[in-house]
Amino acid sequence: MTAATQVPVQPQAPRAASAAPLTVARLLRLELRHNAMPWFLPLIAALLWVDSYRPSVTQSPVWILRTYWNMGQGHTIVDFGPFVAGVAAWMGSRDGRRAMGDLVTATARPRWAAQLVTWAATAIWAVGAYLVFVGAMFAVYAHQGVQGTPPWWWVAVGAAAVAAFSAAGFAVGALFPSRFAAPLAAFGGFLAIMLSSQAGFRDTSGWALILPTNSNSNYEPASGIFYPFLPDLPIARIMFLAGLAVAALGLLGLPARAGGPRLRRSAAVITVAGVAAAGTAAGLATTARMGPHGMVIAALHDAASDQPIRYTPVCGHAAGIPVCLNPAYRRYLPDVTAALRPVLSEVAGLPGAPARAAQAAAPYTVGEGEGDMTFTLGGRPPVLRMPLGALSLPGTSAFSTSVTTAADFDGQARLLAVHAFVGAGASAGTPAQQAVQAALLRGAGLTYAAQIQALGNVGVPWLYFVNGNQPGNVPLSARGPVYAAAGRLAALPAAARHAWLTSHLAALRAGQLTLAQLP
Amino acid sequence: MTAAGVRPPEQAAPARPAGPVLAGLRLTWLYLVSRRVPLAVGLLAGLGVLQWVALRGRWSIAGGPAAQELIQLVIETGAAAVIAVATYGPFGEQERPTGRWLPWLRLLAAVLVTAVAVGALAAGASGGHLPGGTLAMLRNVAGITGIGLLSAVAIGGAFGWTGPMAYLLITEVALNGNPTTPWIWAARTPHDLGAALCAYGVFAAGIAAITIFGARASGRLPAPG
Repeated sequence: MTAATQVPVQPQAPRAASAAPLTVARLLRLELRHNAMPWFLPLIAALLWVDSYRPSVTQSPVWILRTYWNMGQGHTIVDFGPFVAGVAAWMGSRDGRRAMGDLVTATARPRWAAQLVTWAATAIWAVGAYLVFVGAMFAVYAHQGVQGTPPWWWVAVGAAAVAAFSAAGFAVGALFPSRFAAPLAAFGGFLAIMLSSQAGFRDTSGWALILPTNSNSNYEPASGIFYPFLPDLPIARIMFLAGLAVAALGLLGLPARAGGPRLRRSAAVITVAGVAAAGTAAGLATTARMGPHGMVIAALHDAASDQPIRYTPVCGHAAGIPVCLNPAYRRYLPDVTAALRPVLSEVAGLPGAPARAAQAAAPYTVGEGEGDMTFTLGGRPPVLRMPLGALSLPGTSAFSTSVTTAADFDGQARLLAVHAFVGAGASAGTPAQQAVQAALLRGAGLTYAAQIQALGNVGVPWLYFVNGNQPGNVPLSARGPVYAAAGRLAALPAAARHAWLTSHLAALRAGQLTLAQLP
Repeated sequence: MTAAGVRPPEQAAPARPAGPVLAGLRLTWLYLVSRRVPLAVGLLAGLGVLQWVALRGRWSIAGGPAAQELIQLVIETGAAAVIAVATYGPFGEQERPTGRWLPWLRLLAAVLVTAVAVGALAAGASGGHLPGGTLAMLRNVAGITGIGLLSAVAIGGAFGWTGPMAYLLITEVALNGNPTTPWIWAARTPHDLGAALCAYGVFAAGIAAITIFGARASGRLPAPG
């Protein structure tokens, strides 16, 4: 007999229980170290700079406008998604490509668990890089003095999309292990994004709102400046993308080689749960309705998000009238006062002339990020309300090759201000209103040719109807009875024109004047 | 211990020497199989079908006229990616000192698969109106294939698809504006000389590089199946 037999046997269970997470952690560490994802991060970073950052700097230094391209239209997802899907497919196909399927099936860990660890390592690299790169981009924006609130919810959507791409790509690689799995996943992912962009650009409501590249009616200038970003739609999108990711990963646990019956049943439940989450999110998107400052999903809406952001306006003067802007637009104050000065001088002393001009939130509209740019005039004393965020501001290019000049901006602002003054509202106005508008603009230094150019620049469909023109590509011309009447009114001496306007403005705004009644 | 009971190994029947043509064909076939060319041809045929369906169904991307070409450009880039990935060899360095015909086999495989890609996409173009026509398709496939082959030489055939994908992303953004550089050849008219020179120049460089150097064999990455 030896001493060894007298030593009581130590219970093993506690050690085994503590070893399991340790083993998983060790496996995860190994997978993180041997993952292919880091090799492609420099390339993705370069593409992000070229594709997502560079085009965005043509926009005004306001978060909602600066990030419209890369967050609102999801271009960071376009840059990341295909590469992440491709590399994840490569990682997912590893065992199959090496013909090690049987070998790894016989190991202590179920194959599904080992696959999930490999995917987790890939996703950690991809999502981590996404957050770091977007964080760096935002830091550059902040350094440039970009104003307002960053769209954090859209960053979360992007991170969820990257995770979903990694899961879908991994599943493709695991189910079709081949050297071609990676390009198949990458280009399939890119094609899916492009086709979803098509649905996203076209559809302004319904299920298509769930697509992360759809900016229609959900990423407009009022957000982050006058009101917080509404989290309703981003929450639904995160739920949708997470559901897709879970379903894709659950699929991997269904084959017989993935593990025991209990594990496979769990995988089936997880797959169904993922599909259900994605379906529920798409269903929630169909209930979305457009509010004045974002898409509202009743089931997800928090009334606290409707509270306006408090601010102290910055003010200047134009023709003796205060012109006040949101401090986020401080740098445009000289441009706005310069644009309004001739118009405010022209209408000074007339009934209903603005006593103050103030920037207002551009109400959300159906479409791609424009917002309603209509100026309004009302209140006692009258205040001219200007949704400047919806206009093309000086020095910006709205992603086109032509930059908005100060003259372009002056034309837009003057046109919209006079349009509000004659009471035409959200329409082209009556012929008499159109004629008075043209005459006042002429008096404010805007030639008829410049007025026509401004009508085109403003991009408000109803303005095209001026002088009987139709929207579309029909060229506008300064001819016809409207401009003839405008010419007669503009030709009057300033005092006579002022006197006529004083006595007829009420009837003009009520739409009761005809062209024949103009002097 | 004796050798009794140990059966001598069976002598293999002496192989009949094959003729040089047969041997050449067999070598070529083995090379193509090692590069998974048959599977690549199947995928290219699938892309041709996708092209046909896209044109037939008038799939398009919202945007200007250049954006309308994007679906076709994605398919053409996908074909170039398949060609690039098909350059990967599983044998690495071991293959190089033994095969003096290797450069010619690489050239043959690259040209053959590119020709199949162009043929498949041209056949797919019968589904409807191909933006830019066959000439633009030929130019685009050639240019992006050149990028794929250069990527395969630089980073390995298995990841040769990353070059075409990066080019596609850059082109997709450029199509939103009016790019003037001929290097974004997909945005230029089919008869643009500068764009054609750039695209075919890149293709020639890619073919030359893959012929001379072959796809990079990395010791860090496992051989793909």
